[in-house]
Amino acid sequence: MDQRVGAKRRKRIVFSSGFVRAVLAGHSALGLAFAALIYVVCLSGTLTVFLYEFQRWEQPDAPIVTAPPTPEVFNAAALAGYEQAIADKSAHDLFIVAPGTMTPRLIVSYHDHEANIEGHWIADAKGRLVARQHAPWSEFLTHLHTNLHLPHTWGLFLVGLTGVALLSSLVSGLLAHPRIFKDAFALRWGGSKRLQEADLHNRLGVWGLPFHIAVSLTGAMLGLSTLIVGVLALAAYDGDSGKAFSVLLGPRATEEETPAPLPDLAAMIRHVRSTKPDAEVVTIIIQHAAKTGQIVNLGMRTPGHLALSNAYYFKGDGTPIGDGGLESGSFGQQVLGAIQPLHFGWFGGLTVKILYGLLGLALTIVTHSGVTIWLARRRDKGRPAERWERIWAAVAWGQPLALAAAALIALVAAEPFILPVYLVCTLAAIALAVFMPSGDFTNRVLRFMSAALLFITVGVHGYMWGTRTIDMMAWGVSGAMLLAVLMLIVRRRSPAGTQNPDMAGQRQA
Amino acid sequence: MVIAEALTGTLLLLLGVVGLALCWRRRQPPKWHLRLAGWLGIAGGMAVYAHLWGAEAGIAYGSLALSVVAYAVVGAGIEFRAGPKRASREVALEPEERSTGWRRGIAKSLLAIVLSGIASIGVGVAIAVSMPMPAVDRIMLGGILVPVLWGAGMAWTLSDARLLRATILLTAVSAVSYGIAFLPKVVS
Repeated sequence: MDQRVGAKRRKRIVFSSGFVRAVLAGHSALGLAFAALIYVVCLSGTLTVFLYEFQRWEQPDAPIVTAPPTPEVFNAAALAGYEQAIADKSAHDLFIVAPGTMTPRLIVSYHDHEANIEGHWIADAKGRLVARQHAPWSEFLTHLHTNLHLPHTWGLFLVGLTGVALLSSLVSGLLAHPRIFKDAFALRWGGSKRLQEADLHNRLGVWGLPFHIAVSLTGAMLGLSTLIVGVLALAAYDGDSGKAFSVLLGPRATEEETPAPLPDLAAMIRHVRSTKPDAEVVTIIIQHAAKTGQIVNLGMRTPGHLALSNAYYFKGDGTPIGDGGLESGSFGQQVLGAIQPLHFGWFGGLTVKILYGLLGLALTIVTHSGVTIWLARRRDKGRPAERWERIWAAVAWGQPLALAAAALIALVAAEPFILPVYLVCTLAAIALAVFMPSGDFTNRVLRFMSAALLFITVGVHGYMWGTRTIDMMAWGVSGAMLLAVLMLIVRRRSPAGTQNPDMAGQRQA
Repeated sequence: MVIAEALTGTLLLLLGVVGLALCWRRRQPPKWHLRLAGWLGIAGGMAVYAHLWGAEAGIAYGSLALSVVAYAVVGAGIEFRAGPKRASREVALEPEERSTGWRRGIAKSLLAIVLSGIASIGVGVAIAVSMPMPAVDRIMLGGILVPVLWGAGMAWTLSDARLLRATILLTAVSAVSYGIAFLPKVVS
């Protein structure tokens, strides 16, 4: 008996109420400080999982390639891309995305970082460029998630810091949850709003934990990479970040600028397949294309790995110069290969993307409910923060509205209008909240407006592309958007008493 | 065959989660055999996924499936309540009440964001420079540790009411780690 009591006491010491309350205070402060940023990054990240699907929705008349291309097709695509790059005065680096797990499109891009000119084309099954890629909303979404449309390095750092804050919240949330197992399946809906939101917050948070940790950790690493490698370069690479990055990303092209033929990609692909017959091409990068110092980074994937591909390096004349070991190399190499696919969910086709979408939505709800719990606690204590209730409703539900408006503008207007429209909608939602009678009303109004705008967007898309659509994914994306419309207009049953502050006061009493 | 094996893995995960739900939803002390069966079901499901897609991809798919299956089980057991009801056992702990002010808030932010960041990057870079491993391994190890340590530092500094303790420790960690990271350069 004494031993039992002793065991119970020891258990209490591990998670004493003082410790839990202190961690809860830290969790609360961190969550409130970063809530809006984490929310925007999580919501945009959830959508970015479907980046390639949105690209197809925006340009549904572009060809998809259903069968794996032959190695010769990549030679043709590289040549066509290079000729187009010369025409656009940006022949420097060439990139090819092969049809496969990420997208069924063959995409050829080029970029001249000195002239800051780039081009993106969609090729057909024979490697011929058939249409310039035009997906302004997808591009807007990508920049929103990766750098919040801020200057690149600063935006990347801020998103990385948001990832750290999210990771920290996950750790403190776990430590502040002494009934983690006992309550693991409790979801009480109705009654006390605070209890309802806490149940939702904790259940979605705990059971999605592997995913939440994976995306926040990899996101923080991606966002902070420039800063970390910058300090590393100061310490060990004479301040040259490029040199430090090349340790991770493989050899770089030399500055030998004498013209040379484009590399024979088909021969390189066959060389890799001589030892790995089931390897499929995922990406090809030709640095300093058609110059003596060119280097080819051939990304090829074998089944059973998280990495999008392993990187095989070749000189321009076809001489192999090693590989990145991203699929079966050392610990560090495999981690390096897994970061991006683990973050975006691009390692297992559409099924994994849908699961990532669901879990990303869960993480967004966890962020939203974290603030709602704080607001409900204030109300329960008789100190309602009504202005903050309205503002938080505007921040949270202003985002679907702003994103839908951005999508609509991307369809009907020029690209430069997308960001201003998104910002105006975001700020207008917050301004509107000032005149609303309550947070709940703000929430309902913005949800209805978001649903209406999204519905109009789907309608406009159907009107513009209905007869010209050859890519069935466009219908799938429109269907998913209509599902989102339904979810937005279905009203969540509010817990009894939460509408009326007096009742909340009585309940507390 | 693949579909059958994937369904078997998912079914095992579901049975495992249902076992744990039966165990933890009870008011009485949890039964050990239910708990064991639950964890075995989850482990079995993961093993089937790993067998099907290889350990690396299989465990990633299995973790995703486990989360979604658990959400479904939680959703299936939802308890609807009509009125405001708060049994004593449901009352959660309150966050610690602390005196707050602008100066303290700024000091906490500096500790959580700036000093924790400086210290964690220092530790990460020290590892990336000095661990006896191949270059890619030590850089990646250091790179993973930076957000983990930074996040832990944030959680700690925001929870700990004593600012001086955190300041001293984080400053010491920064000094030592940057010393290790830049010492080879200074010496050479």
